[in-house]
Formats: sequence, C-alpha cells, structure tokens
Amino acid sequence: MLDLSFLGQTILNGLSVGCIYGLIGIGFCVIYNASGIVNFAQGAFVMLGGMITYVLVSLNVPLILAAAITIICVALVGVIIERIVVRPLWDRKATMFVMILATLAAQIVIERATLIVVGDQPKSLPVFTDLPPLRLFGIAIGYQTLWIFGTSIVLIIALGLFFQKTLVGRAMRACAINREAAALQGIQVSHMLALSFALSAGLGAIAGILVTPTQFTAFNVGTPFAISGFIAAIVGGFGRPFGAFLGGLTLGLAQALAVYSLGSGLKNMAALSVLLLFLFLRPSGILGSAK
Amino acid sequence: MSITTGNILEVRGLTARYGEVTALRSADLDLKEGELIAVLGPNGAGKSTLMRSIVGLTSASGDVRFRGELLPRNAAAVAARGIALVPEGRGIFGPMSVEENLQLGAYMINGRGEDYERRLSRVLTLFPRLKERLSQAAGSMSGGEQQMLAVGRALMADPKLLLLDEPSLGLAPKVTAEILETLAELNRSGLSVLLVEQKAPLALKIASRAYVVVNGRISTEIDTKEITSHDQLARYYFQ
Ligand SMILES: Nc1ncnc2c1ncn2[C@@H]1O[C@H](COP(=O)(O)OP(=O)(O)O)[C@@H](O)[C@H]1O
Ligand SMILES: [Mg+2]
Repeated sequence: MLDLSFLGQTILNGLSVGCIYGLIGIGFCVIYNASGIVNFAQGAFVMLGGMITYVLVSLNVPLILAAAITIICVALVGVIIERIVVRPLWDRKATMFVMILATLAAQIVIERATLIVVGDQPKSLPVFTDLPPLRLFGIAIGYQTLWIFGTSIVLIIALGLFFQKTLVGRAMRACAINREAAALQGIQVSHMLALSFALSAGLGAIAGILVTPTQFTAFNVGTPFAISGFIAAIVGGFGRPFGAFLGGLTLGLAQALAVYSLGSGLKNMAALSVLLLFLFLRPSGILGSAK
Repeated sequence: MSITTGNILEVRGLTARYGEVTALRSADLDLKEGELIAVLGPNGAGKSTLMRSIVGLTSASGDVRFRGELLPRNAAAVAARGIALVPEGRGIFGPMSVEENLQLGAYMINGRGEDYERRLSRVLTLFPRLKERLSQAAGSMSGGEQQMLAVGRALMADPKLLLLDEPSLGLAPKVTAEILETLAELNRSGLSVLLVEQKAPLALKIASRAYVVVNGRISTEIDTKEITSHDQLARYYFQ
C-alpha cells in the first residue's frame, strides 16, 4: 500500500517535470517551424527565467510582478539573439550545423555572463502558494505542482488558439509549411522569425520560473534543460508543438520511473534510452514529424 | 521620378545565378498596363528563375520596375506593391483549410473586414468549386482545385499584376482550359498578367505577345498573331 502511493507520487513528480520539458520542447518547435533552425540557446532562456526572477524577488519585487517582468525581459533576449546571432547567418544561408553551433555559443555566452553577475551559488525561489500539500490517496500534491500543471494547460490552450485562430499564428504556420509561398502573400518571414524567438524565449522563461521553486537554479542549469526539451521535441515529432508537450510528459515519466525502480543514477540513462528507443522504433515521433 | 511609359513592368538586365550556374542572363522584358503576355520555353530554360527574380525570391542583379518604380529584392515587400506570383507547383499551404489559404492571401489587409469579404466572394464566384470546400484541407483537393486555390489566393491580395508559373502543370486539359479562360476573363477586366507556360499553343490563344526563353536568355519576342502553325513555333525554340 505504502509502495503504491510512492509509485503514484513518482508518477506525479515525473509528469510535473515532464510539463517543464514539454514547454521547453515547444520552444524548440516554434523556432524550428518558423525558420528550420534548432536553437540550442533554448536552455539559456530557462535559466534566465529562474535567475532574473530570483534577482527581482531578492530586491523585494512581488513574485507575480517579478515573473511578468522576467518573461518580457527574456523574450527580449530572445529577439536580441535572433537579431545579432541568427539573422546575419540566416541571411547568408548558413548551414544547419553552423546555426546550431552559433546558438550554442550564444547559450555559453549568456551562461558565463550570468556566472559573472550572480556567482556560482545555486539560487531558489519561494513556492508560489505557501500551503502544505494536498493529500490524495497518500500522494502529496504540492501547490507548485498544481501551478506547473495549471500553467502548462493554460499555455497549451493559448498556443493552440494562437496558431489555429489568429492571423499571425496562421502566418507562422504558413512559414513552417512553405516559407517562399508565405513571403509571396506579403508575410515578412524575418518578422515571424523574430516573433518565434520572442515566443520561445518567453515559454522557456515561464518553464524556468515554474520549476525553480521545486529545484534550484544556477548559471549552468540551462544545458540539461535544453537537452531534455530537445529530446521531448524529438520524441513528440520535431516541429509539432503539442507532440513536444506529450514528449516532455513521456520523458519526465520515464525518468521518474527509472529513478523509482532502479535508482537515481539512472535518470539520464532513462532519458537517453527514451530518445534512442524513439529514434530506432519511431523516428518521426509520437505525432509524426511536421515535414 | 516615375516616367509614364505605359508599362506596368519593366525588366532590364536581370541576371540570376545558382552558384556557378547562370540560370538567367541579362533578361529584358516589358509588360504594358492591361496586357496578358506569355513566357515560353523548354524545361530548364530559366522561366521560373525569371519569375522568381522579378518578385525578389532570388538574389538576382539588374533592375525591375513596377509602374516606373524600382522593386525591392524582398518578396513580401514586392507583394505589398501589388504583385502576386502563383508559383510553380502552386505553393498552397496543404495542411491548412481552403479558407485559411484564402485568408492568408489577404494577409496584407489583415484577412478580415469589408474588403476581405468582397474579395472572398469575388474569388468564390470565379471558382465556385472552392466554395464547397472552404473548410477542407487544401492538400486533400485535386490538382485542378489546388491550382484554382493558388490563383484564388493570389487574387485575394487584389494584385495589379498577376504572375503565373506554369499553372497547367500536371492538370487535365479540360481543367487547364478552364483556368486559362478565367485568366483571360480577369485580363479583360483590366488585370495585367504575365503567364509562363511550356504548353505554348494554350498560352498563345490568350496572350497578345510572347517571349521565348532558351538557355537562360530571352531569345525572341513574338507577336501571337504571326504564329499560325506549330512548326513556326518550333523554329523559335530551336533557332
Ligand atoms: N535552386 C536551384 N539550384 C540550382 N540550380 C537551379 C535551381 N533552380 C533552378 N536551377 C537551374 O537553373 C536553370 C533554370 O531553371 P528554371 O528557372 O527552373 O527553368 P524553367 O522554369 O524554365 O524550367 C536550370 O538549369 C535549373 O537546373
Ligand atoms: Mg519552371
């Protein structure tokens, strides 16, 4: 009985961190769809999300306001990276390989700059709702977990509506389907690229803000999150935002179950096994690849 | 600045390369306001490159003037001037619905409002078959219907100049005839049209003039009234 509730707890925690991976994975897809670029600076957005919020909160800015300011700042960082790193290369029709390296370099620059500014000590944020966890069938459901689930669901619905119902969202999808044909309709593809970076960076920041109270943040948490988000995107079928979210849940669950049954040393092995399994058995991902 | 020559489009010395390959060599072309002219030539001659270079989809050198004004080399900005290209292979957004495709054609007027509704009803009158399929995925329609959608989507921008790159590609003769007849009708109502076709006899029926492109060069300009036989046309291709 005790064991069963522990399993339930494990699954819950796995899904919770899976939501975070999923949000990061969606960030990869949004940029990839608008531009064909795999943006490895994605992890930096997650780290900055937690870190800037931490700095603002320690300056006595209320948490909600700090989070809002952070999301906007990180979205701007996304646009700046697009402008000074990605666009010049894109205009020169740089190869995918060059692009990945450039975004990785941007990630490292942001990481190191953060190290210089805030130091190497891990920081954390208070939980958003400071109440004892709810208990259900012996499973402790922390309010932060509810925040993560709730925010993820709201974001998924909002993104779905944006891409399906708004003209700009449809224009972004059109760029993903056929960039030249989109340009012929008068859609400035480069604006869509900037917008996709703002959107992805904002999503990454939200993921970082949500996850920090349950763990911690430090200048170097970006890369592991980026890798998990990238795996989530591949598992979901690269370029399919909703697939990336499902991929994130799959990954979070697999990691948690591996830790539960085999020990915490196997977390990364579980993640990479999920990746390999999908690459071998279903390379187009859960929902099938976008192109 | 703009000199009134009566030309809606003037192309001068347009040259485009793909790496080492020069696909278009110093092309000159004029299109008068309200004219429908054809660009003919064999496969690989450079017709598509010419179209793509006019609308700024290639990094070509040379001048393209629209109503006397130099066009930017940015496809979205060219579209905003009132030029629409129906690209080779149609370029429809397959996973999106027919209606979404048409709405994106009117992206520059935000895909809504009175103008949008007026344009939509005009396009659906021209191509009634699209009306029945508004919510269907564009990619699930027949080739002919997709081509109608591609033309319809271009018309949603209310262009002053319509460029078409081989609209007959892969279509049954009957459907091709239907589409070309629609183009002729649009032209009669004042739209300037530049039509690329490999199937010369079809294009020559509705065009007043034609340019022949061979090996990346515009080799000849012909008056369609002079063409009376297939042999005569063949001579232009292989001279
Ligand atoms: N993207 C490209 N890359 C390299 N070569 C190309 C490309 N597009 C066209 N070409 C070459 O340019 C020439 C002209 O092609 P194109 O303009 O498509 O001819 P057409 O439309 O008359 O069939 C051909 O030799 C073709 O192989
Ligand atoms: Mg062609």
